[in-house]
Amino acid sequence: MKTVPDIKILGIESSCDETAAAIVKNGRHILSNVVNSQIAIHQEFGGVVPEIASRKHIENITLVVDAAFKEAGLKYEDIDAIAVTNAPGLVGALLVGLSFAKGFAYALGKPLIAVNHLHGHIYANFLEHDDIEFPAVCLIVSGGHTSILYMSEAGHYEVMGSTIDDAAGEAFDKVARFLGIGYPGGPAIQKAAAEGIAGKFVLPRVFLNRKNFDFSFSGLKTAAMNQWKKNNHENNSVNDLAAEFQTALVEILSVKTIRAAQECNARSVLLAGGVAANSELRKMMKFKSELAGLKVYYPSLKLCTDNAAMIAGTAYSQYSKGDFAPLNLNAYASLLSL
Amino acid sequence: MLILAVDSTTPVAGVALVDEDKVIAEYFSNYKRVHSENLLPIIDRILTDCNCHLQDLTAIAVTTGPGSFTGIRIGMATVKGLSLGSDIPLISISTLDAIACNVVFSNYLACPVLNARKNEVYAALYDVRGAMPELLWGPAAGAPEVIADKALKVAADREGIIMLGDGYFPFRQCFQEKFGDKLAAAPSHLMLPRAASIGTLARQKIRQEKFEDVHSIRPYYIRLSEAEYKLGKEC
Ligand SMILES: [Zn+2]
Repeated sequence: MKTVPDIKILGIESSCDETAAAIVKNGRHILSNVVNSQIAIHQEFGGVVPEIASRKHIENITLVVDAAFKEAGLKYEDIDAIAVTNAPGLVGALLVGLSFAKGFAYALGKPLIAVNHLHGHIYANFLEHDDIEFPAVCLIVSGGHTSILYMSEAGHYEVMGSTIDDAAGEAFDKVARFLGIGYPGGPAIQKAAAEGIAGKFVLPRVFLNRKNFDFSFSGLKTAAMNQWKKNNHENNSVNDLAAEFQTALVEILSVKTIRAAQECNARSVLLAGGVAANSELRKMMKFKSELAGLKVYYPSLKLCTDNAAMIAGTAYSQYSKGDFAPLNLNAYASLLSL
Repeated sequence: MLILAVDSTTPVAGVALVDEDKVIAEYFSNYKRVHSENLLPIIDRILTDCNCHLQDLTAIAVTTGPGSFTGIRIGMATVKGLSLGSDIPLISISTLDAIACNVVFSNYLACPVLNARKNEVYAALYDVRGAMPELLWGPAAGAPEVIADKALKVAADREGIIMLGDGYFPFRQCFQEKFGDKLAAAPSHLMLPRAASIGTLARQKIRQEKFEDVHSIRPYYIRLSEAEYKLGKEC
């Protein structure tokens, strides 16, 4: 029997405020996963400042890459390919990782693979679970995206619905900002909500009764702001409003996703993206999926937020197909298609 | 000695291969301005055309700014990748030094200015009477009027002031009014950064063994980000 050689891919990710590098073997085994988070720097500005993110990326990129090799116990020439996120994201930030990856791949004489950041988030599930059955429905939910996708097979995506305005993570950030509880909004609201009682405020479940799978979070955010303005700000009202906001958002996301999964006879439900780290969302998705007889998967917390292991993992199937990028590969803020 | 010089800090994309006494190849483009797409293919073409491998190089020189923030980072990230993967050392060159180096052996004062937006330029003043430009003042970001007044003071005993850089064109009128007969605009082939000039400056730094560490080489932006200015971080 012919043995298939191990394929080790270096992944590089710099689409937002994390500079990350990782080495993954055969699309499954994480040999190293290094993330340099800039959250503390951007906190001062109440959100990610693209120019500052780009400046940090260029300072840290070689350090992060070297740390990934060290952690994996590998030399540069031991890797088989270099994968890099080239869309979607902050263009100036993406260009640091992309330009570095091109130079590094060229110097080592290794192929370059362009990876879609959203495919990376979804793939994070496959890094940790080998029993995911198709068809699957995936809720991808982050600061920049909120979509329900249909996956007939691995690597094949159809959009069933998307937000028509703010992404869920964006709504978390905005509400956290006007409640004055900090940045990033997701963890801040989750923490406040744990001390509050949902239902003391009443927020609308926007779009919940519509037949389609689109979302709208701008109205929910505005409703929360209006309730806050009318309120006389008693002791625990920040926490109560955070709890109601989180409950409304989680209900809308989970009900729509399960409904989508039932409609297309999916066998699995996947959760992906930074907001997939929200514990209430994970709990509710698990509860509702099991009730509907569906298996639910979500990545561990470390792989929900931006990382490069998901990029290196995604690249494995592209490597197998010889789907390599040319030296003139560019970076793009948004995607024309999934 | 074999040096690859790389520049993407202004609208120009430039790459050159030089050895100790001559320019072997040079690419200059002020046309498409998509540095992220073009830079590595240009590097590849120059090396391939000259039958040169990265491993043959003594150093890779890169302009660290001032200039377009994103442009600076595209060049720097590219050479960081090349350097890390090949173990070839890096040399950093100021974009303003590089432009001043276009007009050496002149009795005029050299005043390269780069477009800094917000109605300002990045500028410096150089004595270019010798074979290498000598920095007299700057670099700084400032309104063209302020830079012009500074240049007039420094150039009191000079026949003229030679203006260079892409910051000259938008403020041509201002410099004309300020300098009058003393104004000389560089001819178009010397106006913008030339990778060959960067190679010349790098040669000197190699002789002085002024190499940069691949991890710690930094862009030279001059300015903070807008968000930092708004937070009042300038002092
Ligand atoms: Zn992400």
